[in-house]
Amino acid sequence: MSGGATAAFLESGMRFATPLAYAALGELVVERAGVINIGLEGAIIGGAFGALVFAGAGSVALGFVGAAAAGTLVATLFAFFVVTLRTDQIITGTALSMLGLGLTGTLYRTIYGSSGASLHTPTISPVAVPVLSAIPIVGPALFDQPVVTYALYAIVPLLACWFYRSSAGLALRAVGEHPEAALGAGISPARVQWAAILFGGAMGGIAGGTLVLAQVGTFAEGMSAGRGFIAIAIVVLGRWSPLGVAVAAVVFGAASALQTLAQATGWSMPYQLPLAFPYLLTLVLLATARARTAAPSALGKRLP
Amino acid sequence: MTGAALALSVRGLTKRFGTTVALDNANFDLRAGTVHALLGENGAGKTTMMRVAFGMLRPDAGSLEVNGTVRRWRSSADAIAAGIGMVHQHFLLVPAMTVAENVSLGDRGFFRGFDPRAAADRVRRIGAATGLVLDPAARAADLPVGAQQRLEIVKALARDAKILILDEPTAVLSPSESGELYAWLRSFAAREGAVVLITHKVREALAVADEVTVLRRGRAVLSGSSKTLDEAAIIAAMLGGAISTDKQDSTAKKVPGAPLISLQHVSVTDERGVRLLRDVSMEVRAGEIVGIAGVEGSGQRELLRVLAGRLAPDAGEARIPARVGFVPEDRLRDALIPTMSLVENLALKEAGSQHGTMRWEDYSTRAETAVREHDVRTSGVESPARALSGGNQQKFVLGRELEGSPAALIAENPTRGLDIRAAVHILDELRSARASGVAVVVYSSDLDEVLTLADRMIVCFDGRASATPVDAAAVARAMLGLAS
Repeated sequence: MSGGATAAFLESGMRFATPLAYAALGELVVERAGVINIGLEGAIIGGAFGALVFAGAGSVALGFVGAAAAGTLVATLFAFFVVTLRTDQIITGTALSMLGLGLTGTLYRTIYGSSGASLHTPTISPVAVPVLSAIPIVGPALFDQPVVTYALYAIVPLLACWFYRSSAGLALRAVGEHPEAALGAGISPARVQWAAILFGGAMGGIAGGTLVLAQVGTFAEGMSAGRGFIAIAIVVLGRWSPLGVAVAAVVFGAASALQTLAQATGWSMPYQLPLAFPYLLTLVLLATARARTAAPSALGKRLP
Repeated sequence: MTGAALALSVRGLTKRFGTTVALDNANFDLRAGTVHALLGENGAGKTTMMRVAFGMLRPDAGSLEVNGTVRRWRSSADAIAAGIGMVHQHFLLVPAMTVAENVSLGDRGFFRGFDPRAAADRVRRIGAATGLVLDPAARAADLPVGAQQRLEIVKALARDAKILILDEPTAVLSPSESGELYAWLRSFAAREGAVVLITHKVREALAVADEVTVLRRGRAVLSGSSKTLDEAAIIAAMLGGAISTDKQDSTAKKVPGAPLISLQHVSVTDERGVRLLRDVSMEVRAGEIVGIAGVEGSGQRELLRVLAGRLAPDAGEARIPARVGFVPEDRLRDALIPTMSLVENLALKEAGSQHGTMRWEDYSTRAETAVREHDVRTSGVESPARALSGGNQQKFVLGRELEGSPAALIAENPTRGLDIRAAVHILDELRSARASGVAVVVYSSDLDEVLTLADRMIVCFDGRASATPVDAAAVARAMLGLAS
């Protein structure tokens, strides 16, 4: 690959990675509180639809607000069932994924009609950071991106800091490890999980918003295309740490980019193969004891 | 000490769980500067009462006063803020977190920082001031059990607890650790606070406490200074005076029969390569009770499972009869499926070796027989195992394992968590199994209990098993690895 092609590949990898990173960082917070939200897919597609509605009514910024709000709304439903009613997390999450996909499709057709495919929203364009974006090969990938990508550069260290250097982060991790111990220390595990799930929903919504407002410029039914499930795999691959999740998101993003590259250059190998690679990596990692012990101990368990 | 101000006062407390009345108009007064033992059998309401005082449970009726002020808790956070700390029987530590993190857990404030260095300093400071020394950087999971308990107390002290509630604190401690803990609690009470000690060990309570309150069926039936109350009066109050605590052996000791279980140079190594059993040789004969003792983690857990045919040795030869009953320590995890009925739980015994359709009528009859013969109190054999009290669950497990005349019975801590009445019943069952020619092996963490039962003693230390005289001093020395 020439330098130019490599730079283009990395740049598109980062573009694919951005929504994945948002969704996965949100899911990371949820899982550190002991909840696995399979309904993330529903929050992403909800966010994409919210972005369409709000950006159409105003600006791109309003679109992102709408995306976060829609994702939070889906998460509210999930939190009510899972935390307040103590329902099974996997079943509830699966139902919400299906509901999100179905409901957005129905609403889309009802509001915009079946010809809505030509609907376009305003999008944000990449902003090149002076000097840094001129670095050969990695410059464009890291520093010629939309603002949503730059925001991640702040979110990842902030999240790490919050996990390990704040009382609330300590409480969050304790709830995910041993909710009874948290309760005994005067923390309300239900409240912590509610907050974590709402945050995860907002991040999932922003992920969907990014798809619409920074990449495609329109909404399509089912456009989340399994990113919610990919994000859950990214959290595993990232071993439940903010930096690890960020790196894992880039790995998955690069795999998506490789797929498009393979299609464009007409490689003879099946173009799905690169996309399978990060999943294989996740499985291999899961087979090692270290990855299994990195998971929060109370992950997926109902509160007492 | 009478006349001192009340640190904690509970008036007319009532708490129901469904149709069960856990507390029935119960009263309790804790004077400042004292250690107060709260005694009672399992299910008497001791823990429930203290959980209400700690804000973990809401009472249905009654009031609570702390230092003379009526208080109402919304959650344990309120109780903690009012200077109450509780050390639960099953520790509430986050195993994956460090000592410092566990101590800092529950610090208020969303944006409040967590500084590991300051948290470590706090642990060291408390250690220096109180003698409860801990390594702030150690993971809670890696601490020995005595240190975990210290950590629980340090957690409470870090929140400025003046009233400490400890639920069965010595259940997991060695005698010397218990002694240290009690000495510390006495000095804590004398210095600045007050201590509630939930226990069912009458002798320990009288030795360490200034005052004693006995709960029975959710009511306070006896309360007074430990100087004026004697052991017999307290036991009578706990039991309602209807039980014989006579531990005399009714089954005459006969000459034991042929060896039924035989181990020759048996070794067991776990997946990490740690040797858990080293070159163990022993036999168990028909019609005898072999007692096993050992400090936690000395290999007795594996030895019992080898004897029961549940664990295959890596080296050596184990001759185990085809039918061996096994009563594991954690009945709700290892012996019963709590949501399944008694009939189903009985059928599980043979589930691994059966084929074809289930003959439920047979299992029903067998479950009914087991329930009748072993005095299991239940509303019927179709009720789920979790609906039974701990004592009745254990009687059922024992009944199931003794069903179909097994050649041997292996019991691990068979009276753990049971009240005196149920425990006496279980011990009698083990004796009558011996009388009918079963080879019985019993491990108990209560040394007195094994010693009253056993015909012979085997003590585990560091994976080795050695025969020891049936004598408390000799067994205790062997448990510590000292040559007798």
